[in-house]
Amino acid sequence: MTAIQRDRPKRSGRRVRYRLRVAAVAASLTLMCALAGAVAARVYHGQLLYLLVAGAAFGAFAIGFALRNRPAFLAPSASLVGLAAYLLAAIAITDDGADPLPATIVDALVNAVPRTLTALIPVEPAPDTVVVPVFLTWLAATLACEFAIRYGRTLLGCLPPALLYGAGLYLVGPNAEVGTVSAVAFCVLAAAALAVTAAPPERRPDTDAVVDGPAPSRAPALMGMVATAAVLLAVMALLVPVAARLVTASPGDPREYVEPPQLTDIDLNPLVRIAEWSKYPDQDLFKADTSADAWMRLAVLTEYDGTTWQAAGDFRTAGTVIPGSGDASYSADVEIIGLGGKLVPAAADPATVTGLPIAVNLTTRCLLTPDGLATGTAYHVDSALVAADPAAAENARANLADAATVAVPPGTPEIMATIADYIRTTYDTPYARAQGLADFLGQHYAYNPEAPSGHDLPSLGFFLGSPVDAGGQRGTSEHFAAAYAVIARLIGLPSRVVVGFEVPGGSSTVTAGQGSAWPEVDFDGVGWVRFDPMPPPDAVPVPPEDTLEQMEEETPSPEEDSGGGGEAEDFNDESLEQDGDFDDALTEDAGGLPVWVWYAIGVLLLACVPLVLKARRALRRRRRLTRGTPAERVAGAWAEVLASAARAGVKVPGHANAEEAAARLATLEADIGPLPRLVNAAAFAPHAVSESDADAAAAVASDYSGRIGHQVKRWKRFLT
Amino acid sequence: MHDTEQTHPLRVPKRMQQQVQLGAAQAEQFAAAFERLAAAVDTVVLGKQEVVRLALTAMFAEGHILLEDVPGTGKTTMARAIAAAVSGQWRRIQFTPDLLPSDVSGVTIFNQASGAFEFHPGPVFANIVIADEINRASPKTQSALLEVMEEGRVTVDGRPHQVPQPFLVVATQNPVEMDGTYRLPEAQLDRFLVKLSVGYPVEAAEIEVLRGTHQRSPEHLAAVVDTDTVAQMAEMAKHVYIAEPLYAYLVQLANATRNHPQVAVGVSPRGLIALTRAASVFALSQGRSYIIPEDVKALAGPVFAHRIQLAPDAAMRGATGAQVVADAFHQVSVPLPASAA
Repeated sequence: MTAIQRDRPKRSGRRVRYRLRVAAVAASLTLMCALAGAVAARVYHGQLLYLLVAGAAFGAFAIGFALRNRPAFLAPSASLVGLAAYLLAAIAITDDGADPLPATIVDALVNAVPRTLTALIPVEPAPDTVVVPVFLTWLAATLACEFAIRYGRTLLGCLPPALLYGAGLYLVGPNAEVGTVSAVAFCVLAAAALAVTAAPPERRPDTDAVVDGPAPSRAPALMGMVATAAVLLAVMALLVPVAARLVTASPGDPREYVEPPQLTDIDLNPLVRIAEWSKYPDQDLFKADTSADAWMRLAVLTEYDGTTWQAAGDFRTAGTVIPGSGDASYSADVEIIGLGGKLVPAAADPATVTGLPIAVNLTTRCLLTPDGLATGTAYHVDSALVAADPAAAENARANLADAATVAVPPGTPEIMATIADYIRTTYDTPYARAQGLADFLGQHYAYNPEAPSGHDLPSLGFFLGSPVDAGGQRGTSEHFAAAYAVIARLIGLPSRVVVGFEVPGGSSTVTAGQGSAWPEVDFDGVGWVRFDPMPPPDAVPVPPEDTLEQMEEETPSPEEDSGGGGEAEDFNDESLEQDGDFDDALTEDAGGLPVWVWYAIGVLLLACVPLVLKARRALRRRRRLTRGTPAERVAGAWAEVLASAARAGVKVPGHANAEEAAARLATLEADIGPLPRLVNAAAFAPHAVSESDADAAAAVASDYSGRIGHQVKRWKRFLT
Repeated sequence: MHDTEQTHPLRVPKRMQQQVQLGAAQAEQFAAAFERLAAAVDTVVLGKQEVVRLALTAMFAEGHILLEDVPGTGKTTMARAIAAAVSGQWRRIQFTPDLLPSDVSGVTIFNQASGAFEFHPGPVFANIVIADEINRASPKTQSALLEVMEEGRVTVDGRPHQVPQPFLVVATQNPVEMDGTYRLPEAQLDRFLVKLSVGYPVEAAEIEVLRGTHQRSPEHLAAVVDTDTVAQMAEMAKHVYIAEPLYAYLVQLANATRNHPQVAVGVSPRGLIALTRAASVFALSQGRSYIIPEDVKALAGPVFAHRIQLAPDAAMRGATGAQVVADAFHQVSVPLPASAA
């Protein structure tokens, strides 16, 4: 009785330490799951998803922790119920109330994955975009709790949050800054959880601790830890900077593989709308209440194949905040009246849109609503107005970075080349040429709202070159803008066509007559500059052939034409783009070592893993068979035999006694002789075990593992 | 250092070392004597070595034996053979419905010659009492055995009378002819350390029985050990070493039977003590001075099964106490090093 009373405080203290360790592991893993979930939250708008994933991690872990001592089926079942409740709560919190809640729930659950992947950054926390991160966080926390708390496998418990972290990084892609702090915190938490459970054998609660032999004395263990930490730090200090320089590519963006929203015909080729708008200029398209005068863009067309102008890039689902925009300085409340299609008018550059589900074209930054516009559709858009500085553009070179904006389809009419030559010889700078082209078209061609639609090359040739009597040399903004853009490209100016509306400040109804198309030219360092090639009202056009024939007479020989004198800068000289300060040198020097060396190092390190495992096993065997009391060595021999049998695929259940275990081990056709008797003695009468018994047990263990070696699977023999 | 000795399961604490009194030599001596006795009984009860050894284990554990089987399987013969092999007094009581308690325990009679009441001991006053077909007696008579089985004494007219030691009750009962019988109550079943079933002999043993029916009578069996030796051997069994983890193992087994879904009443602490005593004897009979889990497993069925009261629905479905015990062993991990949890 006295002995029992003496044991109580000791057992109590041990229990408290054990509980503290479990609590520390639980706290670490909960935070790891929350951090891993928060990786994806970086591309979400606002702080809501941070709170949701943190709640999911805590909730799932709390359920698993509370039921850790209950039957194994109970925790997952309860966690499933908790997950369902939490998902419903998350959906209810993020629901905007536009649809009935049950419909929203079904829609969110069915479309969660595709919409999460297609949602544009920053993702709006909506029912369909929060389900995936919340679900994955909950799942990771549940698994982590089961592995680490119920089964005591802390390292395995770190795996779900690590996978979640990786999934978060994949989802984020290149759309967020490198999260160094969270990554370091994640690693520190994992290390803390592992360190807390890394108890020496005599303090470990598991039965294996008994047979792993006595712990090494404190000083060597401490020195070993310090040496290991120093080696790890040194390796990291050497490798991390080099590895960081090697990483020159951004991670892939999963959104690139997602099917974008589909466009209708009038959205694919919105330039054809100009003819209708010109013919019926009084039809009301939408009401607008704007903060200032602005051009609201409907579509930006950068690709021309000789037949139609089309927009480049795909539309991506976005939240209320359009990524990559500046501070909003312009606002507009729009209510649709007669405007159809899916394209949404908005002043450049849109920053936020409310009241409408939105997809955005990241190339042109135009907007689209997947459900299409209908009468009564209303939305609010804030834009960061883009005002290119004409003064800066006057001395700027053309921005030739995007080859698509200067691509000209084959078969351009001769009149276009003639006009291009005229402009090129008449003007020196890119801006002067762009403005000169606009002036040329405005002075030599007439506006006619009745002109037939068409902006393919033959139509543009007819517009530019046919006689007035035949119906040529007159057109709508469709013809002016399209012809301008093609000729500009012939000159070497990057151009595009924009379809939109001129909207005055204040409240007004925008009619079809305000709709037009205009060309824009891209200047290096300035951006896209709008030009107006339309003739002034009531202007009498000058026949273009008169000007062009005069140009041919005055054209100097190529030798005389040095582009404005020998000292003038040639703005089209592509060699000037090769400044020598671009990325090539960087990529050549990156890393200092060829990439194959790093691959070789990686392979070498991987090859070392089996060696390390083998060495660890050999050391453990040596410790088990040679250290400790005779009884401990016999127990170690028994553990070695069981481990060897397990490697060969024969596992002994926990309820088997030594005789039953021996019968089970005998299926491997290798005798373990007196070992069952010895292990019984070691376990239940340690005083009865002698040194010779321990030696005999060690011999049996060594012999047994040697004899069943061939029954171990080949890959297991090689790797472990 | 002291702490390490106390906490490490493979290092014997000093207080435990002091309790270990039996050496390997003593255990060997016990095993030899046990084997001599068993071999003697085996000459009469052919082909039943295991049952004979379990019965002898119960005797040296100072427990009582309930033999249950169909008529003619050698229950009474085995009981008589055990009695004959021990050179003590033995009596046989044939239980019948009209048997009175005084017929078992004895009676006080007035002696006119001496003018005083004299106690006439009943047949229960013997070293080995064979209670044949115990379930045929009335509960009142059955209960007359309760006190003597538990305390080794009989109280008649307020005066206790000690029965000779060692004292062993070997009861038999027939499980098939239930008409006119009285099922032993749970309290009385709990008094029996083991409940054994003799069973039919194997073919070779049965042929051998036929060959020498007359020569193999218990009457021809010479005593192998005397009652003093039996008492000494029983005393030795009390000093068998039991490792600390085994106590927890035993309690976990008992708990497993108590928490079994098919069980109404599980194993009592008395049953757990009985198993420990029996396992101690069994260990010694194997020449070991300490208990191992194999001893526990060998005896758990005979010791536990008859003490387990099944739930009515489980009993209707044909569940048995032996199945419950087997389930319990599958639920509890053996406290061996490195065994899976």
